[in-house]
Amino acid sequence: MEISQQSNDQALLAWARDDNGKPQIALDPESIYRYGHLIRLTEQLVLDQFSRGLVSGTTHTCIGQELAALSVVRALNHPDDAVLSNHRNHGHFLTYSGEFVGLVAEIMGREAGACGGWGGSQHLVHRHFHSNGVQGGMLGIGAGLALARKLHNSGGIVAAIIGDGTLGQGLVYEAMNLASVWNAPLLVVVENNGIAQTTVSSHTLGGDIEARGTAFGLPTWRLADDDPEFLVKVDEVVKTVRGRHSPGFLVIDTRRMGPHSKGDDLRDPDELEQIRKRDPLAALGRLLPEDVRNTIELNNRQFIEAVRQAADASPEATLSETPAHIFDLPLPATNLAAVDVPPGSNVRQAINSALRHLLGSDKRILVIGEDLHDPYGGAFKVTQGLSTDFPGRVISTPISEAGITGAAIGLALDGYLPIVEIMFADFLTLCMDQLLNHAVKFPGMFPDVSVPLVIRTPCGGRRGYGPTHSQSPEHLFTAVPGLTVVYPSHRHDVAGLLSNAVQRWPYPALFLEHKLLYGEKLDSADYTAIPAADDVAVALFPTLRRGAGEPDVTLVAYGGMLPIAETVAQRLESEEELAVEIVAPALLSPLPRASMIGHLLERPIVVIVEESHHDFGVSAEIAAALLESGFSGQLVRIGTPPVPIASARSLEKSIIPDEQSIIAQILDLF
Amino acid sequence: MASYQTVPCVNINDEFVDVVSIDVKPGQYVNSGDIVATVETDKSMIDVVAEQDGYVLRIDAIEKEKARVGSVLFWLGESADEPIPDQKQESVAPDGISLQPTAKARALLKKLGLDSAGIPASGDRLSVADIEAWLARSGKSITPAAGATPVARQEQMPAVNGELVALSSEAAGMLHAVSWHRDHAAAGYIEMEYDPKPWEDYAAAYAAEHKLMLSPLLPLMAFRLAQLGRERPAINSTIVNGQRYQYQPVNLGFTVQAGTMLYLTVVRDTQDMDTAQFISALGEIQRHAMGHKLPPQEASGATLSFSSMARWNVSRHIPILPPQTSLIVAHAAPKNAGHAVLAASYDHRVLTGFDVAQVLQALSQPPK
Repeated sequence: MEISQQSNDQALLAWARDDNGKPQIALDPESIYRYGHLIRLTEQLVLDQFSRGLVSGTTHTCIGQELAALSVVRALNHPDDAVLSNHRNHGHFLTYSGEFVGLVAEIMGREAGACGGWGGSQHLVHRHFHSNGVQGGMLGIGAGLALARKLHNSGGIVAAIIGDGTLGQGLVYEAMNLASVWNAPLLVVVENNGIAQTTVSSHTLGGDIEARGTAFGLPTWRLADDDPEFLVKVDEVVKTVRGRHSPGFLVIDTRRMGPHSKGDDLRDPDELEQIRKRDPLAALGRLLPEDVRNTIELNNRQFIEAVRQAADASPEATLSETPAHIFDLPLPATNLAAVDVPPGSNVRQAINSALRHLLGSDKRILVIGEDLHDPYGGAFKVTQGLSTDFPGRVISTPISEAGITGAAIGLALDGYLPIVEIMFADFLTLCMDQLLNHAVKFPGMFPDVSVPLVIRTPCGGRRGYGPTHSQSPEHLFTAVPGLTVVYPSHRHDVAGLLSNAVQRWPYPALFLEHKLLYGEKLDSADYTAIPAADDVAVALFPTLRRGAGEPDVTLVAYGGMLPIAETVAQRLESEEELAVEIVAPALLSPLPRASMIGHLLERPIVVIVEESHHDFGVSAEIAAALLESGFSGQLVRIGTPPVPIASARSLEKSIIPDEQSIIAQILDLF
Repeated sequence: MASYQTVPCVNINDEFVDVVSIDVKPGQYVNSGDIVATVETDKSMIDVVAEQDGYVLRIDAIEKEKARVGSVLFWLGESADEPIPDQKQESVAPDGISLQPTAKARALLKKLGLDSAGIPASGDRLSVADIEAWLARSGKSITPAAGATPVARQEQMPAVNGELVALSSEAAGMLHAVSWHRDHAAAGYIEMEYDPKPWEDYAAAYAAEHKLMLSPLLPLMAFRLAQLGRERPAINSTIVNGQRYQYQPVNLGFTVQAGTMLYLTVVRDTQDMDTAQFISALGEIQRHAMGHKLPPQEASGATLSFSSMARWNVSRHIPILPPQTSLIVAHAAPKNAGHAVLAASYDHRVLTGFDVAQVLQALSQPPK
């Protein structure tokens, strides 16, 4: 809402905006003071609203740090410039967007909120501005956004703003390393206020802050917000980073006048008094003639009162219907050519063909991961030949699973279609925060923001790789709300499924590949697809079935467990006279309830076989869905018990379900 | 004496290798060190060389397929015609399972409330067929064990001298069918005359086109009925507990007289077949029936049936409904009558006479 248009004194309250609506704040003291003071009044309004019980949830204000907050963002004047902020984001957001009512109403949980009430104080989005609530969580995304700007030769840069407390997070350093390796225009800004929530820096910071920047080869600056030339110097830093189109590291010494949140300031009164005396915003105001300052403050107060009234008048944010999920329909297949997989290909070759096809057909597609380059071609050789044929678009990265996942999210936010390879699925836990708290949150909260990201990774055991290289962690990731989990087999059109995930499903997706299936020939045999019904995305990732129409036993198996289930079925039929059906889903989450559960509902015995640690897992969800639907047959879950997967083959064999143990458990039913 | 060489281990973690090529043939003489095959895994490809001189007697691995590490790759002998010793089949079943009845047989025993003791097994393990044969010999019908002990309805023995003779399993099955027809279905009967010429022409043309020795007339008519079963789902359903039970597959029952034995053979999942596949499947099943070797899945599970007595020159017959079906079509074609007859027994709980008349009407014409 544009309050300035309605004010009594438009000349004083309106500010120039660029073509994208970003306020243009000149470097003269009057302009800076006017905007800095508005930020302070807005923060005071937020605290006032909180004290009246009008704020939904929590908030963190930047009182005392207003000049630091606006300094970098103010200087970003390219349409592609992006800002990644943190929990203390109001000053950054207001400087980038000029949306005062949007911010206050958002914090109050009102309809007029900038993010419709989804984000509150910490999770805001506006064009290329994103903030989120996990400390340092946005830094990898920043590296990706910066790489995107480099790849399409934009003059834009990315400012990722953190506090000094966040220097304890490892992802910060992964991102700085990535930006350095990629020479991408990421300016990491540390607002060094000397306190992390309530813990002073001496307890949280080892070594020297600036040395952190220089260690990664980043040009590093240290400025203080009470320096009279502070804003001008920051402007120069931003110009330098833009000019070099390479990363940088800026430390701004500042002081937080208010509490971390609301009532949690435990600092010594003498120290607080020192901070108040230092107040750079007040110092700037004192430079102005008194009448000028008074006029600015009066107009600002009137403006903020109008903001208050507009926010108060906005009704509570409501949903016409509680959403069941975050997904919309798949994108149409129009103009998408099918992957040409050479006959006789195995799963590895089919995925390689799909990646080749995708890279060749859409410039937005990038493949990112560790050791992907030729002649190595990835730990399982899936990317062999691709870095040679698509130079610059198959990117071997440092060992930084969280960082490259974040970077891929950044690339996806910027319109790329990144495909990340994580070398072993066991390492996905390092990506978990990026997926759970970032990738799925953006499309879930903001309808205009899509994150078309695919993470491919080999999983599974039976190769003697031991406890941290053998797991099938799908159960952890199917539990991530909004994450699509696809786990095909050699019976599925693996190349088609991967293409669908990349080109037709603009949501974060995990694509699991069992190591032992890489060498299996693609062969759909006599499997047929179960009709898709109304399930989300199952038309892209179909569930297959084969075998008896009136089975005694239905085996539900997927991924690397499918060949074993087939052997089990064959033996149950030939040795035990049982009629056996196999149901093989590719889409694990969202669970295809209407189609797969509907299909299983009337079966007398359903046996779900999975390789993952199955407590609280996929089989549990299928079982629960069956029970909720009125299933009255017998159900057995077979999976890996909650113990580490041993390295010794003899031990591994007794831990991961195999043909014998599955048959024995099924025969117990008879 | 013949000796064998096994599939080598290429990588300790791979239980299987791909057999890329086999470079020798049975009868061929090889010298120690000659390359006989190439195998590969994900990581590497290796040549397999003969470990000794000799004639290749037999190759057990198959080119382009997977082979288990340690399994026999090929046999070598001192002469080309040396015999290969019999390999004992290793039982892969875990101890204790092999001597039990099969799982399906155990399920049947549980369902019937029977113990396996005293039921003779024809092979290593007691099978469903063994139980069914025993039931037939004992004159017992297959009725599920209820929660409480069922009360058997005893008929009085006839007053005239005689002895009880156990029914064969087929006769027991027929008794079951007739009892279901009498006790459960509300059986009705309809018949109509039709001109057999279009069907005969159609079958002759089909036979000519597909070079068939025997007339495919009856299989073609049966397949047409199966198609009608898809188009009109009600005829492919039954009544269970007061509700209509709609079958998903169309399993077509087809009566086969094999000697003195009448079988209701069953072609399952006809909905997934085209005409040629159906004719081929029915032919195969008929051969099994004629040899009295019908496996259980080819003698059970009919959802819709067809029965012709054209061979016996009858002018009409009223068939018995197979259990839990709603329609069986009867076909008769008396010689020199100039017309043929299509008729049907049907379960009036599911179908009306109008429904059945429409089916017969549709069936009286070959597909366009």
